[in-house]
Amino acid sequence: MEFLTPILFGGLALVSAPVIIHLLHRRQVRPVEWAAMRFLEEMLIRQRRRLRINEWLLLLVRAAIIAAIVFAMVRPALRPPGAAAAGAGAGLRRSGRTAVVLLLDDSLTTQSGRSESAFDALKRLAVAYLATLAPGDEVSVIPLSRAAEPADDPVYDLEAVRAAVLATPPAWVAGDIPALLDAGLARLRRHTNPGAELVLVTDGRRAGWRLAEVARWEELRRRLRGPATAAPGTRGHPRLLVLAAEPDPAPRNLTVAAFAPDRSWLTAGAPVGLVATLRAEGGDTPTPAHVELLVDGRAAGRQDVTVPAGGEVTATFTHTFALPGSYSVAARLAGAADYLAADDSRSLAVTVGRGLSVLLIDGPERAGLRAKLGFLRYALDPEGKGAGPFQLNHVSRAQFVPSLLADARVVVLGDAAGLDPATVAALERFVVGGGGLLAGLGPDTRPAVVNREWFRGGEGFFPAALGAATTPARAPRPAGLDRAHPAFAGLGDLGGEAWQNAHLPTYFTLLPEAKPDPDLEILLRLDNGAPLLVERRRGLGLVALLTTTLNAEWNDLPLQPAYVPLVRSVVGQLGSFVTPPRNLRPGEPLIYCPTGAAGGAVTATDPAGRLLPLTPGGWEGRDAFLSAPLREPGVYTVQDGASPGPRRFAVAPAPGAERLAPLTDRDLASVLEPGTPVFRRPGEVTAGLAAARGSGRELWPLLLALAIGLLFLETWLTRRAAGPVPLGSPAP
Amino acid sequence: MNPAAVVQPEVLARLGALSLTARQAVESVLAGQHRSVRHGLSVEFADHREYQPGDDLRHLDWLVLARSDRYQIRRYEEETRLRATLVLDASGSMGYGPAGATKLEYARGLAAALGYLMVRQNDSVGLATFDTAVREFQPPGSTMAHYLQLLDALARTQPGAETRLAPVLDELAGRFRRRGLVILITDGFDDIEALTQSLKLLRYRRQEVRLFQVLDPRELDFPFSGMTEFIGLEHEPRLKFDADRIRRLYQSGFAGHQERLRAGCHACGVTLEVCRTDEDLFSVLGRALASR
Repeated sequence: MEFLTPILFGGLALVSAPVIIHLLHRRQVRPVEWAAMRFLEEMLIRQRRRLRINEWLLLLVRAAIIAAIVFAMVRPALRPPGAAAAGAGAGLRRSGRTAVVLLLDDSLTTQSGRSESAFDALKRLAVAYLATLAPGDEVSVIPLSRAAEPADDPVYDLEAVRAAVLATPPAWVAGDIPALLDAGLARLRRHTNPGAELVLVTDGRRAGWRLAEVARWEELRRRLRGPATAAPGTRGHPRLLVLAAEPDPAPRNLTVAAFAPDRSWLTAGAPVGLVATLRAEGGDTPTPAHVELLVDGRAAGRQDVTVPAGGEVTATFTHTFALPGSYSVAARLAGAADYLAADDSRSLAVTVGRGLSVLLIDGPERAGLRAKLGFLRYALDPEGKGAGPFQLNHVSRAQFVPSLLADARVVVLGDAAGLDPATVAALERFVVGGGGLLAGLGPDTRPAVVNREWFRGGEGFFPAALGAATTPARAPRPAGLDRAHPAFAGLGDLGGEAWQNAHLPTYFTLLPEAKPDPDLEILLRLDNGAPLLVERRRGLGLVALLTTTLNAEWNDLPLQPAYVPLVRSVVGQLGSFVTPPRNLRPGEPLIYCPTGAAGGAVTATDPAGRLLPLTPGGWEGRDAFLSAPLREPGVYTVQDGASPGPRRFAVAPAPGAERLAPLTDRDLASVLEPGTPVFRRPGEVTAGLAAARGSGRELWPLLLALAIGLLFLETWLTRRAAGPVPLGSPAP
Repeated sequence: MNPAAVVQPEVLARLGALSLTARQAVESVLAGQHRSVRHGLSVEFADHREYQPGDDLRHLDWLVLARSDRYQIRRYEEETRLRATLVLDASGSMGYGPAGATKLEYARGLAAALGYLMVRQNDSVGLATFDTAVREFQPPGSTMAHYLQLLDALARTQPGAETRLAPVLDELAGRFRRRGLVILITDGFDDIEALTQSLKLLRYRRQEVRLFQVLDPRELDFPFSGMTEFIGLEHEPRLKFDADRIRRLYQSGFAGHQERLRAGCHACGVTLEVCRTDEDLFSVLGRALASR
């Protein structure tokens, strides 16, 4: 005997209700004058015992009715002894009808495989599982790529579910098993059957399990366990089954792991390096590969490379975009025909301009290297002719007027203390509207003023609150940096010594915030841990802060080889920020904000050239056209009748989504509750769950029938005691 | 006292029409009975009247016929005077019922109407009211003035103490010297065995007895619900019951009482008439006369 909803045992307290009602009823006495007392007295003498027995019997029957109903709601179930033993042996048994949420991992890696894809294998597992269900079981199917979409109602037609599973195509999303389990737990709330199973069907690859996210898994385990009163296998404590297809342990696979330009800001007419990173997984010998560059779908270059086993190699294509505009570029492995074809190509949308307009707001003086932005000016435009990618407008603080911001994409503030409120407000509007700003500090900086007027508790344009200027006994040096960050794309293959030899004796510390700002990112630290370069999103724009001077007044950074590429890269990145984003991940919608005159027809096409429906809407307070979440990788094109030239958007899988390392039992043990059933083959599913099927006989129909029977008995007892109220003539 | 004070106006109005039919019924039914019960007794001459076809030739006055050649029928005092006594139960239980329609009020109306009928046809009617003992007794009389005195007595009657039917009837039986009619109006809430014995005594004393049992509809239907405290009208201890639980038992006990009363009356030749206080008085009277 087990109880499927034991939490409702609390309802047994209602059994006392008839007694309470009876007692309350007895207290509500209505006095009446009565002549025929002799009959009542005679009745009392003769029938006292009978009356009392009747009263108690009625109370007992009423309490039994409530008890039967409560027990029916608790849903007791009897399991045949044989089935119980077999089910317990496998850790599996079902009691009554089951609510099933089938979680299909359709991430990128499930497309791997040669004769049969991993996705086909996991679908066979899912079908084997569905065959163990019985009529009356209800099923929801959630593919990972659609986990965030609105839920459909559960389905009772198991054949329809089977057909839906077989018809599900694989997707290009990165694996995220915790998110899938999270969606499954949420979906379970829409089910009504008392038994509950979350069935995770995955390809047995490790990447999507996010094993390092310990806190997330801990929270998931807590939610799966449910309240202490919930019985295992019920909706309060759903049973988790893992159907993990057995993967090929060491498949040979070549991947275009990354593809990016070597700088953030691309200028028309200037050559740009487009760097494809190729990685080889599996195998034990180097793999020759041919990688092609495609620009707007047309071949623009080809290189032959050899990728070491388990290693990476880069292929850089130099390309010159003749005209400004929106382009798509792609790196494609030609004829790889490897284990996972879906990662053999990676597309990128790039925006090419004529030159990045940068406004330098200097200190009182702007001439020579002693000026606050003297070094930076020469780093961006060594010849001072505006012929490079940066077109500078260098003004002193006194010369600045807000109208200068109209033509700028990036503003650089060099220890510019004492900005008047109108300038501060103009800079704030500039950043919020999508501009980039780089701020350097120095001896003129007044932290109190900056914090009060520029930072304003996080509401202003400044990225962080300043502490005091510090000069430690030992001058710190810059620590290592994350080369994958776009702000450092311009460093190329410069070694760490190019900036780590710098001395920074004086710098400003940053005040810790009571609530960490998720938009604040520390790009570079000093070797004593203090932040050196931080970045924060503000509205549609981006702000970077160097906690020391941009010239050599407090440090010798400008004298280091990395200074020029560093500032060019950072300024380029600040100016390259295109909104809404045009490089997307599978599952994200395309968002296009028209920039031309209103009223132009806006159309979009998918990578296959089919029309992509767009819906008018809004984005960050701007008019926009939005698509449904994009499923396929590749290049999407938007044509705006009011604006010349196409806008290109690229969808590419997240980096690392293609990793094919197999999931081990040890990995599973690190995140799942001990004893979680894991099936690798369809035969195991059938054998393991056959014993669980058909077990359990729910008693609630019997209890409800008992309650109804008792109800009839109660009515009979009541009527027998009450008797009819005659309306006719008196008895003679 | 105006009869309208105790007899409903519409009842009085309808009694005018009733008197004709009632008189015919009474004369046709009671006259035969009077003759039979008077047979062989010496009676007092009253007057003559014209012979009508169908008259008994034994009462033809042959002397008058011989002297004056007229057919005259001799009339006797006893032939026209019925001695009836209305015995009205005025115990506490008779005070039950809604204001203006208690059993006692209904019984008073019934008694007044019966008295009126009898006085209208020159019968003698008396009154006795009682609870534990006889409280008022007026010997029979046949005049309207006497009837008005009866009405005064009826109007003064209020619900009193407990019901003691048997000793009261025994006491009254001792007062009846001559043949007569006793009309007992009561709710009959007393011991049936003792009542039957008393009725037998009355019958032994040559009294024809008619028993009108007056009941409130609620005493038959027991329409109460929920916990109810019953407060007796004759100083009985209070009783608390769930009325729904005991309705059937009460009705069963009440029906048994009625059955015993009916059997007792039948055994001693007493006519029983059950009246509900929501019943039209006229129909009760009509039914009572028809049953004669």
